[in-house]
Amino acid sequence: MSTVTESMSAAKSPGADDLVFEVQHVTLRFGGVTSLNDVSLQMRREEILAVIGPNGAGKTSLFNSLTGVYSPQEGTILCRARRASAPVSVIGKKTHVVNRLGVARTFQNIRLFPALTALENVKVGVETRQRSGPVSAMLGLPRQRREERESTRRAYELLHRVGLENRANDIAGSLAYGEQRRLEIARALGTGPGVILLDEPAAGTNPVEKRELATLIKSINVEDGVSVLLIEHDMKLVMSIADRIVVLNFGEKIAEGTPEQIQRNPAVIAAYLGSSADEAEQDVLSQPELHRIDTALSLDELTGQQIARAEQADTTVDQADLGDGGEKA
Amino acid sequence: MSAPKRTNPRTESLKRLVSCLLASLVVALMWGPQEGSFGNFWFGITQSIFKPRVLVFLALGVVLFLVISFWPKVVPYLTRPGVGPLVSGGVTVLAAQTLMHWGDGIGDSKFGTVATAVSNTPGIAPLTKAFFGWLCWVMLAVIFVLAALAIVRGIKVLAWVAAGLSLVAAVIAYVAHHSVVTYAHLLDHSLGVYVEIIGYLVIITAAVVTALSSAEMAEGRVAVNRVLGWRPGLPLVVLGLVVGLLAFASATWFSPQNFNATMSDTHERFRGTGLAPLAVQYLIWLGWTLFAVTTLVGAAAAYLRNRVLGWVAAAGGAISVVLTLITIYDFSKLAGQLHVDSATGPWQNLGAGGWMACGAFFLIGAGGFIAATAHGSVREALARAADSDVVASGRAASTQFLSAPGAMRSGIMLAIAVALFYPPTATGFWQSVLVSEIGIYVLLAIGLNVVVGWAGLLDLGFIAFYAIGSYTTAYLVGSLPIKPPSWLHMSPLLAIPFAVAICLLAGLALGAPTLRLRGDYLAIVTLGFGEIIRIVAVNADGVTNGSRGPDTQVPHPVIHLGPIHITWGLNQLQYWYLLLVFVVIVLLAFRRLENSRIGRAWAAIREDEVAAQATGINTFQIKLLAFAIGASTSGLAGVFFASQVGFFNPDNFVLNNSILVVAYVVFGGMGSLPGAMAGAALLTWLPEFLKDQVPAADRQMWIGAVVLAMMIFRPGGLLPARRRAIELRGFDGAGSQPRAVPASEGM
Repeated sequence: MSTVTESMSAAKSPGADDLVFEVQHVTLRFGGVTSLNDVSLQMRREEILAVIGPNGAGKTSLFNSLTGVYSPQEGTILCRARRASAPVSVIGKKTHVVNRLGVARTFQNIRLFPALTALENVKVGVETRQRSGPVSAMLGLPRQRREERESTRRAYELLHRVGLENRANDIAGSLAYGEQRRLEIARALGTGPGVILLDEPAAGTNPVEKRELATLIKSINVEDGVSVLLIEHDMKLVMSIADRIVVLNFGEKIAEGTPEQIQRNPAVIAAYLGSSADEAEQDVLSQPELHRIDTALSLDELTGQQIARAEQADTTVDQADLGDGGEKA
Repeated sequence: MSAPKRTNPRTESLKRLVSCLLASLVVALMWGPQEGSFGNFWFGITQSIFKPRVLVFLALGVVLFLVISFWPKVVPYLTRPGVGPLVSGGVTVLAAQTLMHWGDGIGDSKFGTVATAVSNTPGIAPLTKAFFGWLCWVMLAVIFVLAALAIVRGIKVLAWVAAGLSLVAAVIAYVAHHSVVTYAHLLDHSLGVYVEIIGYLVIITAAVVTALSSAEMAEGRVAVNRVLGWRPGLPLVVLGLVVGLLAFASATWFSPQNFNATMSDTHERFRGTGLAPLAVQYLIWLGWTLFAVTTLVGAAAAYLRNRVLGWVAAAGGAISVVLTLITIYDFSKLAGQLHVDSATGPWQNLGAGGWMACGAFFLIGAGGFIAATAHGSVREALARAADSDVVASGRAASTQFLSAPGAMRSGIMLAIAVALFYPPTATGFWQSVLVSEIGIYVLLAIGLNVVVGWAGLLDLGFIAFYAIGSYTTAYLVGSLPIKPPSWLHMSPLLAIPFAVAICLLAGLALGAPTLRLRGDYLAIVTLGFGEIIRIVAVNADGVTNGSRGPDTQVPHPVIHLGPIHITWGLNQLQYWYLLLVFVVIVLLAFRRLENSRIGRAWAAIREDEVAAQATGINTFQIKLLAFAIGASTSGLAGVFFASQVGFFNPDNFVLNNSILVVAYVVFGGMGSLPGAMAGAALLTWLPEFLKDQVPAADRQMWIGAVVLAMMIFRPGGLLPARRRAIELRGFDGAGSQPRAVPASEGM
């Protein structure tokens, strides 16, 4: 695995020509509400980039913009999900087209195909890369059979990868919450992505599952060479696996840097504790041990009450725009 | 019950009583035609109200009130062992005594008519008189109440008494019917008494189950699955044995209207007429011998789980079917030559016996086949049952319908046997219903199931594709005012690929602009499309010959292929077998499709379109595919329809038919091939069946009642698809789906 490590270390050094995502001055509005305001960020190949921020900060809006669900009014998003491909603008592209570029994602509130089995869920992902059509399916032509075998084999591999191989024939909706999260990751991996966007993969999982998840994400990143963009509230998880962190607040990027830098960033602390940056800086100066973000706790737990009001605006917009998506969830 | 609002229970139940009575009044009004006449606007309503009938309905209202009031007290008993068989047995007996025929040749030969005739006949045995007068009802009521008491109170003695009485009742019914038949010298083929006996046998089963089980919960399905799965293939062999015994010993083989000849009688009739030696030998001993040998071999194969014997039985069954067919062909052809019963050719004047024998041999052979091939699946099934995950997901394998090894394939084999060998025994009326109602709508329902069931798109204009298929055929065979070029002029069966292709294109043309719509909007647009096609057909006089339909007859199908010459004429049976070929081909193709990447993509879109898109499925393209495939199936049905009826007109393609096809699919179980077929078959059969049973004006109401009952008690449909059933029912039970993140937080 030495080559992988080498390429990783190469990737970690900034190189403008090897960016998975290049987001420049993106602004996304829903009527009067600005969900993303002039956000710019760069995601390097094979890094784990975490996006954090209080609820309603625009993290999921950013994900939806990156995957073609939303079309930002201003700015550009260039994507080079697979190595040695030309950069393509994502804005205005259909979701499945973006997926075919090599961008896979999971959802904050799990969106499996609940009545299909775990195996079938992953197969759906794998099979979007196959080509046999309805006629060969109806006639049972050799090529279709070969592809069917191939997708089953690959799906079992992926289920093994996420530790669900003995749940393969269970109905996805009957799996435990953490298992559903992992199944969603397996389905996303089935499409053979160059970058995977994980939206709160650890939400609702227990500490053991969180540790396993961290290992899984790390291995996807290192062994498969898949870049990972991660939204997560669990600071312990984020700090332990992220190479870099971007912090959003009220639709604006307020900080970017390594986990250590972010932990000490006064603007971030202010965002999470709800005071102005100046006050926070002074607080940090006077009582540093008091207001340093406790990495053992999730930021949610620290600030859940305070942010409740702020998130209202964003979520209502989310619901309205998603239409049937919202009602299915 | 911790209702926050305190309500007076007495006012509550009074309210409930009043609404029940009002509802029954409304139904009484709906019953029968309500048109006023010129002189008297209220004619219909007064007719309904001032008749004793209204009292019956008010009584029903009271019964409804009682049922609603005491339902919570009844519910806990519904899971007791024996309840299911008791209710179904009671309903069967009731149906036998109200709907079935009890003596061919006595008026409309229904139970009521026969009973009146018996009471007016002085010289008949008192027991028979009593049975047809009051005893049949009293016996049913007493037995039902006894069995119900035994179940509710857990009194085993009562259950045994009920079982004994049921046996007595069955015997009395048989004796009474027999004495009527012998007294009046009837040529009787009625089935009422047999259905009644079966009903009582089911009640006996219920009583015995009640008496023997100490469990609180019914485990009927487990028991049934255990019996079916004990020796795969054996149930079919046993069924074949029963059918075969009836066929060889007592059923009519020849001239049901006149001589009513059993197999040995048939041999007597054709003695010395120059019947082919094979047929003679068959009628004398070969038939019986084949039956005995195949049954023994089939049973041994199933019991010993012997693969070789299984294949032997399968081959024996197949050969025996062929020999039986040759025999009945031979003697019916001879009868045609001799003009017995004014017959003109082969296959006429045959009784059910020969076909039953064919069915019996088929079942025995199928049993052998399943015994020969079930070895692998036994092990698999055991492994599945042992798989703790299946149990953990809340549905142990053994309680699923037809989950026993070989049971599903046995069911399929049984369906094939019925489809092959029942239609020849049906009357001409039922044969034409079978072809032009049941068969065609089954094919249409299979096609619509792709759109509605698998892709989850509501299409209310489906019949338009059927129309396009029919008109395309009419064009290609030259029956429309606008003629095809001579090189394109063809016979109906050759038109199939063209009609299918045109319908496919029509599906694409409709789908491409409309599939961006969702749900209700799509339904409305497709509904409009259906009407547009029909109105164009009515108005494009120069092309379609307007509302009169094609001006010359669409020819019947013919096949001239080397030595094979088949010409379809007016015999409905021929069309049935042609249709069967179509349905089987479509089924085989669609079953593969369902389990391919396309089928899974449809399921994915139906369940979560956003997630499907994010997984890389081109949802638009895949939905369009469903539209096109569904449309091309109804194109096939259109070809068949046009060449079968010869003449048709735009009235065959009204909106009502589109809605009916949707209803069939929903009724049968969306997304399930057997369900869609069963739904279409049942709902097309029911109106024809009711023609005989209820006043014409009431038919739709009864059908509505059946559909309503279905939606209440089996919302997933008759035979719901696995995936769909899970979507409707939930997973481990309601509300257990974990949700750490509020749904409102979006994606």
